[in-house]
Amino acid sequence: MNPNWAEENLQTIRTLMERSALYRRALAPVMITCGMAGLAGGAVGWLGKLDSYTAFVAVWATTAVVALSCSLLLMRRQALRDSEPFWSAPTRRIAQALAPPFVVGAIMTDVIFGTANDEGMAIAAILIWCLSYGCGIHAAGFFMPRGIRWFGWIFILAGLGLITFLFSAPVPVWAFISPHLLMAAIFGGLHLAYGIYLYFTEKKNPA
Amino acid sequence: MNPEPFLQLDRVIHEKGRLGIMSALAATPELSFTELRETLAMTDGNLTTHLRILQEGGFISLAKSYQNNRPLTTCSLTKAGRKAFADYINLLEQIVRQNKG
Repeated sequence: MNPNWAEENLQTIRTLMERSALYRRALAPVMITCGMAGLAGGAVGWLGKLDSYTAFVAVWATTAVVALSCSLLLMRRQALRDSEPFWSAPTRRIAQALAPPFVVGAIMTDVIFGTANDEGMAIAAILIWCLSYGCGIHAAGFFMPRGIRWFGWIFILAGLGLITFLFSAPVPVWAFISPHLLMAAIFGGLHLAYGIYLYFTEKKNPA
Repeated sequence: MNPEPFLQLDRVIHEKGRLGIMSALAATPELSFTELRETLAMTDGNLTTHLRILQEGGFISLAKSYQNNRPLTTCSLTKAGRKAFADYINLLEQIVRQNKG
């Protein structure tokens, strides 16, 4: 018998324990909050006619910060209620999985500035956000219940569908589509729909 | 070398597949059959056999329910299973210390 078998067994146990520790907090309130923030952001941008690229990015960066802050508060409240650490190992892994695509999305938002007119740039930003957000959610889904990965795929497919639609359209369609309403539909609508679905299907007292 | 700790190791847990199941369940309150199967890369039949042995030994409990009209089997460690796993780890650590000393 290998003299190090006990040490190897311990290492295997450690690896398996790390791999199987999933993030199990109730996600319905977080998704619904993000959905509401998305719809509110769309309404503010559209009704306020904040159509320049800078204003568009400012509206949605603010919306993202509000949604993220509210989500973190909800997650912290759940952790406190269950007497568990907020910044747990699964939470850290989710943050690490989300970080690279989110950083790419943020940098690309700046890179596309000046590549087209305002509406064109806003649509390009939406494409990039859909793809990077979808990739981030999909990556984080490996440390969360399985359905989250499908949610990530929906964003990726929405981004790819939008690219296909824009390239196949005979006229520049962004002239007829409000980028704010598109964002509200994609980000607000999808989060809200998924949150409502989770509300009715998620265990009410997550283990 | 003192063989005592090795002899005390629980034979049911010590098997590779079952040790994997116990380790995965020790890190989380519960896992579905599918999550366990994906984490451990086991076949349905293999996992079912090991789960049955662990359940018969009183180490794990299985709960059957429905989610979205689909059957869902959820596995979790029992109190006895958690203690047996902790004891197993302690013995492994003893053996490691003994090997190094």
